[in-house]
Amino acid sequence: MVLAAARLAEIAAFEQTLESPIEIALHNVTVSYPLSSSGHRTVLSDLNLEIRAGEFVVVLGETGCGKSTLLRLVLGQEFPTSGSIDVDGKRVTRIDSRCGYVPQKYSLFPDRTMIQNVMYGPENANTGWLGRILPSFQRFRRDLRLEVEQQLLRMGLRSTDLHKYPHQLSGGMQQRVAIAQALMMKPPVLLMDEAFSALDPTTRSSLQQQLRDIWQESRPTILFVTHNTSEALLLGTRLILLGAHQEESNRTNVLLDMQLPKFDDTITVRKQSMEFQQLREYVKKMAYGSSTSPEDFALAQEIYERRERA
Amino acid sequence: MAKSGILKRWADKYGIVIKVQRFDYAASLDAFVGKNIDACTMTNMEALDMPAAAGVDSTALIIGDYSNGNDAILARNNLTLAQLPGKRIMLVQKTVSEYLLERAMDLNGLGTQIPQLRLMNTSDSDLVGAFLGNKSNQIAVTWKPLVSQIVNSDQSVKSLFDSSKIPAEILDLLVVRTDVLKRSDGSGIRFAKAISGAWYETVAQLAGAGSASDQAIAGSAAASGDSVVSYREQLRTTYLYSTAKSAAEFSEGPAIKQKMDLVRQFCFRHQLLGQNIASVNDVAILYPDGTVQGKSDRVRLRIDSSYMRMAEKGRL
Amino acid sequence: MAAIPILGKIVDVQSRPQKLWTQSLSWVLFLVGIFTYTQFSIARHKENPEDRVVPSSAQLLQGLKASFLEPAEEDDALDPSAGITQRLAHSMLWKDTVSSSRRFFIAIALLVPAILLGLHMAVFPYAEALFLRFGLFFDKIVALSLLPILFIVFGIDEWSKIMLMVIGVGPTMMLDTYNIAKAVPREQVVKAFTLKSSNADVAYRVILKQIMPQVINGLRLNLKPLALFLFAGEMIVSTDGLAYRIGIMRRHMGMDIIIPYLLWVAVLLFGVDALLKFANRRLHPWF
Repeated sequence: MVLAAARLAEIAAFEQTLESPIEIALHNVTVSYPLSSSGHRTVLSDLNLEIRAGEFVVVLGETGCGKSTLLRLVLGQEFPTSGSIDVDGKRVTRIDSRCGYVPQKYSLFPDRTMIQNVMYGPENANTGWLGRILPSFQRFRRDLRLEVEQQLLRMGLRSTDLHKYPHQLSGGMQQRVAIAQALMMKPPVLLMDEAFSALDPTTRSSLQQQLRDIWQESRPTILFVTHNTSEALLLGTRLILLGAHQEESNRTNVLLDMQLPKFDDTITVRKQSMEFQQLREYVKKMAYGSSTSPEDFALAQEIYERRERA
Repeated sequence: MAKSGILKRWADKYGIVIKVQRFDYAASLDAFVGKNIDACTMTNMEALDMPAAAGVDSTALIIGDYSNGNDAILARNNLTLAQLPGKRIMLVQKTVSEYLLERAMDLNGLGTQIPQLRLMNTSDSDLVGAFLGNKSNQIAVTWKPLVSQIVNSDQSVKSLFDSSKIPAEILDLLVVRTDVLKRSDGSGIRFAKAISGAWYETVAQLAGAGSASDQAIAGSAAASGDSVVSYREQLRTTYLYSTAKSAAEFSEGPAIKQKMDLVRQFCFRHQLLGQNIASVNDVAILYPDGTVQGKSDRVRLRIDSSYMRMAEKGRL
Repeated sequence: MAAIPILGKIVDVQSRPQKLWTQSLSWVLFLVGIFTYTQFSIARHKENPEDRVVPSSAQLLQGLKASFLEPAEEDDALDPSAGITQRLAHSMLWKDTVSSSRRFFIAIALLVPAILLGLHMAVFPYAEALFLRFGLFFDKIVALSLLPILFIVFGIDEWSKIMLMVIGVGPTMMLDTYNIAKAVPREQVVKAFTLKSSNADVAYRVILKQIMPQVINGLRLNLKPLALFLFAGEMIVSTDGLAYRIGIMRRHMGMDIIIPYLLWVAVLLFGVDALLKFANRRLHPWF
């Protein structure tokens, strides 16, 4: 049952063609830190990865497997011990505006209102410090404000929330604004580091749907890191499953690198589909190796029971 | 005095215990006024300012010496007294230094210029360093050993005026609280006798010659945290009333009244007798012959020559 | 028996005293203090009616009047027909307040570079490497012991006193700002760079803007040490100033002037603190 689903996934067609350019490329990337006691801790070793424009890549794995490190390498926040990373055709040496970034928390500037937070990026792009005095900048700001207002209202903020400060609104609202803030710059790559992990399930689902819709609209390349299997399967077009680095091998433990089936329906519907649940089981099995987890077992039972009833 | 055991001997003779405590000068005055200690050495000016003006009736038992050059006005660049008004002068305000300065101006016909003097209150612990460290500080008024330190370190600094020109105006006294002296059990009187006896024995040693004198000087120098050389230098410019006779005679004579009047006028002018004291006569001084300078119902400082006389006649 | 429930209420963490109680209790210690002082004063005055160490209320009132209305003794006496405002402007207290305040506020202005240095140390790794170790060391030098050096370098006038304050409190402000800036979550800095910020943007528009309320609160805490250094400097070498006057008055036990001066200094410090708190609230509504 599980193997069939995997095969299904592998031959499933999706919109992305193989002709779109490579957006993110990692070449033989190794990241290791010396430990205070002797020895090294290797997080990633000899990793090669190519991500094409428009892909929604989810990176899944347990804590410590290197998924956050991977994201930070692409971002430019961390440097590889050996190897190199290219984004948008150019080598990554520092954090710059090629990537949009949505972290799990602390993503907004606390001393600015929601609107001001989102306006920050485009204002910077428009002019330097001196240009701010000019009346042309003021005009630009007026137009920008309207655009941002509309965008935020569309994303689900109320008009009263627009002029509030981040600490006055809920986590869900903050993350919405954080996404808007990043997307305002229309970056080619969007990096999201466990962006929804701190939210309650309802908000989480709502945001997942919103993100998917945004992706459908503008097709940025998204690299989405999470440790939640369901979330990964619901959002992505491509799944990369990382396992903890094994001492003996000198290659990063990429357990899975597969395309995910195309879903046309909403998240809620998809969640209940058979395909989805089978996939999840499969991925979980891969993640935990041959041992079965209690979740696995429970799910298998559930599916079995449903099948029996149907 | 205490170290050499002289004091103990005299105290035992009179059956009392005398405890000697070391204070910083200003702190000792505070303790005396606060009635935490019974007797203290101080100058005549402080005896007026502090206990007398605060209403603590005090008696001067012993007139030890007067400053005969220990206090001086120092200046750079060959300045004269006439050039002082308008320039900044470093000194400890409201002490004998300010008194010395005013007397210097008065004696040189510059009394009217006194309000033009710009005084900068400088604590004595920092005065030497600050004066020497910066050539733009031209004038300072202070006492030995600081005077010696300055003059020895910088040849361009000259003394314009010193206390030898105003003899017997800056007196060092041993003062005891009058209520302690008048204790009903007589312990105050015994204390007065003991301390006077011990004092004149010690002074005889200091003023004399020979190994006993050297020992005494070394002991005193060590006790005041000074070197023997520096201490001798101070002794040189101190007029010691080394015999009880000379001290007693001075205290009973007319000169002391004249000098004390100068001092008390200074104190009153500078409101040192108290903010609300209406006239200089409100803090009165009683002399051995019974005359009172000021209102007789407001005597606060008494000069008592009886113990000095007893010491002179050997009746201690 | 009725006492026990009350006792229980006092030691109860969950108790909710009524407004009347909280208001009146907060004044109790003031009254106790004044009462004790008065008893002391009366006792001393019984022994010695001219006692100046613990002045009576009449003496204190005199002292207050003298400070507020009389000129300093080194100044010329006033024209006796002068009006109240003229007398206030020419008074001892006003003269001292002006000169002390001038030194105080100049020193605060000179603390701004220390704050900026702390900010740069936190944001720019090279600045941190250069300054942190030395800054930590310099912070431990007791500024008062540097006073003789300050006299030589800056003279005995205003600047040595101002620099004493700056050297005393500057390192604290610098390290405090450094720690506050370092505590800004790294995510915001990263985010700022992805939003096309330059290095200057990150340092000033992102971090400095955020930490300003905390820095101002740090300054409020440092007002007392600042005043302490000011007073130390004034008591050692000065021609005027609040602490100078207190030092001079001390020399002849003028507690009737000293006590009003002390209370006035407390009022001033309270005022500056309140002003800073108000400014903080107004400028930084998000904090």
